[in-house]
Amino acid sequence: MNIERRSLLKGMALGGLASVAVTGPGLSLANSVLGPSTGKRLPTLALVSAAVADSAFVQGINASPAARQVSVQRWEASLASILALQQRLGSGQPQRIIGLLDDASAALVLDQARSAGARVHWLGQHHSDARTSRHQLLGTTAADGCALQLGLQLNACGAGFSLSEQRLLAQPAFQAGARARDPRSAEQWAATLGYSLAELASGRLGQAPLASPRAVPLSGHFVSFSIEA
Amino acid sequence: MTEQTQKPLLPRGVNAAHFNQAIAQFRALLGDENVLVKDDQLVPYTKIMMAVDTAEHMPSAAVTATSVEQVQGVVKICNEHKIPVWTISTGRNFGYGSAAPGQRGQVILDLKKMNKILHVDPELCTALVEPGVTYQQLYDYIQEHNLPLMLSFSAPSAIAGPLGNTMDRGVGYTPYGEHFLMQCGMEVVLANGDVYRTGMGGVKGDNAWQVFKWGYGPTLDGMFTQANYGICTKMGFWLMPKPPVFKPFEIKFENESDIAEIVEFIRPLRIAQVIPNSVVIAGVLWEAATCNTRRADYTSEPGATSEAILKQIQKDKNLGAWNVYAALYGTQEQVDVNWKIVNQALKALGKGRLVTQEEAGTTQPFLYRSQLMSGVPNLQEFGLYNWRGGGGSMWFAPVSQARGSECNKQQALAKRILNKHGLDYVGEFIVGWRDMHHVIDVLYDRSNPEETRRANACFAELLDAFEQQGYAVYRVNTAFQERVAQSYGPVKRKVEHAIKRALDPNNILAPGKSGIDLANPF
Repeated sequence: MNIERRSLLKGMALGGLASVAVTGPGLSLANSVLGPSTGKRLPTLALVSAAVADSAFVQGINASPAARQVSVQRWEASLASILALQQRLGSGQPQRIIGLLDDASAALVLDQARSAGARVHWLGQHHSDARTSRHQLLGTTAADGCALQLGLQLNACGAGFSLSEQRLLAQPAFQAGARARDPRSAEQWAATLGYSLAELASGRLGQAPLASPRAVPLSGHFVSFSIEA
Repeated sequence: MTEQTQKPLLPRGVNAAHFNQAIAQFRALLGDENVLVKDDQLVPYTKIMMAVDTAEHMPSAAVTATSVEQVQGVVKICNEHKIPVWTISTGRNFGYGSAAPGQRGQVILDLKKMNKILHVDPELCTALVEPGVTYQQLYDYIQEHNLPLMLSFSAPSAIAGPLGNTMDRGVGYTPYGEHFLMQCGMEVVLANGDVYRTGMGGVKGDNAWQVFKWGYGPTLDGMFTQANYGICTKMGFWLMPKPPVFKPFEIKFENESDIAEIVEFIRPLRIAQVIPNSVVIAGVLWEAATCNTRRADYTSEPGATSEAILKQIQKDKNLGAWNVYAALYGTQEQVDVNWKIVNQALKALGKGRLVTQEEAGTTQPFLYRSQLMSGVPNLQEFGLYNWRGGGGSMWFAPVSQARGSECNKQQALAKRILNKHGLDYVGEFIVGWRDMHHVIDVLYDRSNPEETRRANACFAELLDAFEQQGYAVYRVNTAFQERVAQSYGPVKRKVEHAIKRALDPNNILAPGKSGIDLANPF
């Protein structure tokens, strides 16, 4: 981890950066952490559970430059869905599968990815309520900068959050967090996540849309992922 | 920009030079595409559900083999460089360690590509399969060939496999539910590369490998289960003939205190084989979770769910405090006779609400229970993971005699400890012939570090408290293997380590499995 990145995160953790401008140095920093743009845009399927279907996660996907390559599918937890996914992953067609699902569904989807020999660039465990959100992330080189981007944007929007990212083959893990300053940002994490996962393969991070506040923001436990077959 | 502090993850006791040489040799043996070392290739092997840091169970690499000869080649390379290798078949093992290695840095040997159904004999009702075969694959084969056979599997059914489940001594819900009992013939690659076949498998020209378990002299099949003495590359097992009549039923009991009477009612029916399958007695939260009930639907308060809420869920979902699932199998005459006996016994008990398939229709959880008891795959039980959410699940599975008093004692003890740690009792009893597998899913929010610490402490206390009462678990997740091995006493451990030294002196096969590791002082 470079010093600049670590300092920024440390600052966020201490609540010292109340308003990092994501469009300014923050975003540049996040982009600088990413590798060079691959420009690879694979057809992408986004799987969302019922609760997520109308959420800011889908808004984020739709706002991304990759939106045209992404088809959003509401996930029905059933054996038939899993067998269809198994067939899709085994089809030999290059593709990405991203999503935000409940724990039970995600456990099944990720296991199918392993069985198919697919790569998993991103794996996140999330909890949110009306006040705050919590994120445990397992990142890879291909998703470098995404956790940072999520932290920067949540901080900039005044969302309450805690975030920790662990890396498989690299040290150290990092943590960040901030107290809630703007209750309208309760669902921002989902918007940023949807945007970032849709954009992941492009190698560039842009600015996710600001989530429209909803009367009942997305709450509960979720798992996010980005799979490449 | 690259990470400046990146360090390679290495297996215990292996330096980078040896590791890199081994990886190069794996590539030459298996091909580049079967040697996985990049982080995005290894992440799928790291999603654990145990209450420990993910880092403790990260692999340094994963390799996939496609033949017995390749497995022999892998162990040869591992011996040369003292590389510890953790073998998985389909790698499901949810709540027991998933696909992750038992110890940080171990190389995973993934046998998912060895997935051939080698033989199914519809007359002798036997099968011989490779490690990567799933129950769904086998189910499809039976359906496509219209064979009059029935499978028995654990709840992850479709995606799990018979070889892995049997090697870990898993159980199912049909009359063939004690899977290791139905196993017949194994092929095992030993640490020195020899290929050993158990039972009749070593006899040239033999065709009784899948029908006669014992062979001649010592029968060693059991030694390879829940163990690290060899890599099973083929397994034979018996299949149940599909009965002409299958009659599933449920009995709902209103009160938690009914458990002792339920067991006393079932045991004689089970031992006499009036009820031939592994009966399930499921608690209210198990039932609720598997029909898509979430804790958040009822409360946002942290800690254990209150008794008032449990009663409300029971009422809302039309559940019993205990829900007994069993089935009758056979000809119409056989089923009619046994049905009469069950009804008479229930009448004598004087409590319990009987529900038949006709009454239940397609309602859950009756439907999925009925499917599990008749060998039809489904994934309904994954709903457990949404009860509390957060991805934490550890099975606590003590065994006991099939006596009401034992179940009462175990249930009360488990619930007290779970509630003390702010967690719920989500449990069921599986009634074997004379034993009970008490299976409790310790569900917790793994995204919450504080709750994860509590879940770990809770699991440790469950093991301690049950041990003090003379109980031990029959299977456990990889984070607690060493602790559970201690429950079974030092002599057993000395014997196990003596065998390990003899068969695997370089300690390359899954060190730590069931507490067997030559780094231990035995």
